[in-house]
Amino acid sequence: MIEAPAAQAWYVYGVVDATTAAPVDDVRLVEHGALAAVVGQVPLADFAEDVLAERLNDRVWLEAHVRAHEDVLMRLAERATVVPFRFGVIYRELGDVTAMLRQRRDELAAALAHVRGRVELGVKAWADRARVEAALGDAPAGGSGGRAYLERRRTEEERAQRATALMTEIAQGAHERLLAAAVEGVANRPQPRELTGREETMILNGAYLVEDGGTALSELLRTLQDEYAPSGVDFELTGPWPPHNFVEPPEDA
Amino acid sequence: MSRNDVSRAGGGLQTRPSQPAQLADVLERVLDKGIVIAGDIKINLLDIELLTVRIRLLVASADKAKEMGIDWWEGDPFLSRNGRDQRDLDSRLRRLESAAGIEEGDGE
Repeated sequence: MIEAPAAQAWYVYGVVDATTAAPVDDVRLVEHGALAAVVGQVPLADFAEDVLAERLNDRVWLEAHVRAHEDVLMRLAERATVVPFRFGVIYRELGDVTAMLRQRRDELAAALAHVRGRVELGVKAWADRARVEAALGDAPAGGSGGRAYLERRRTEEERAQRATALMTEIAQGAHERLLAAAVEGVANRPQPRELTGREETMILNGAYLVEDGGTALSELLRTLQDEYAPSGVDFELTGPWPPHNFVEPPEDA
Repeated sequence: MSRNDVSRAGGGLQTRPSQPAQLADVLERVLDKGIVIAGDIKINLLDIELLTVRIRLLVASADKAKEMGIDWWEGDPFLSRNGRDQRDLDSRLRRLESAAGIEEGDGE
């Protein structure tokens, strides 16, 4: 059975300099002036309004498409400066992609200039509450009887509060020091345990824009790890990522 | 895909060789960050039920964090650059949830 060619649409992953060399695999560049949009063909049927809600709520579909989006950006970022778009920018005609580049030219050029030669690194800090509390010492005293019990409860409560204060202090202090080793940085909401699936509490979910591959930040991270591991906090580095966190214009601009 | 896992083995940093980037990290970046452009096809990311579940988890976590006193990134415009977005999301999420009759604690 011969089927008519499915209607296609253009999915835009992001923007690069028009001088960027041949793009990866099955994506192509749509140039306008000094800018080029990185686009790929997708079946229009996948993004038709009547099926879109269903597709977006299909966990497998969503993960595959979100990862594909990131994968194209990652491979581009290995060879060029890229300004990532958020998921789901789709046009019916290539001419509309060019029109978008024309309309957003200044903003996109500024974003490209801002991230040129820089990468995004992610830093997470994980607190193991039991270790944090243990590191604070003064374990509740033994003993029996009502008075000893109340005393013990009070000590436990105080220790939990001090642990919380310490975790906050470590996360905030680490973020400030990481900022000093970066061009720019942002502390995003720590991800909840339901998402991380880990026992430890995420107390820092930072993203940092760095130069030279982030050597200074990586070194600092080792220092932070050595410094805070005894207090029950471990650091994790992810990336380099395409600079998702650093391409939006400042809200007050 | 190993590019997302440059955590160093030396110096005691956690390392996760040969694992793909955590899905939560990718979702956070691809769905919540990056330049926002309205294309031809309107994709309302807030209409993703999976996403609203995800956002609700984040909201619940923020409340929980507040309870624990770990909310230092809130309220500081520099540290929580996306605070305004988040409040907007929160209120839209509550409207969506009440419209859909979603109870707190529902799974996906």
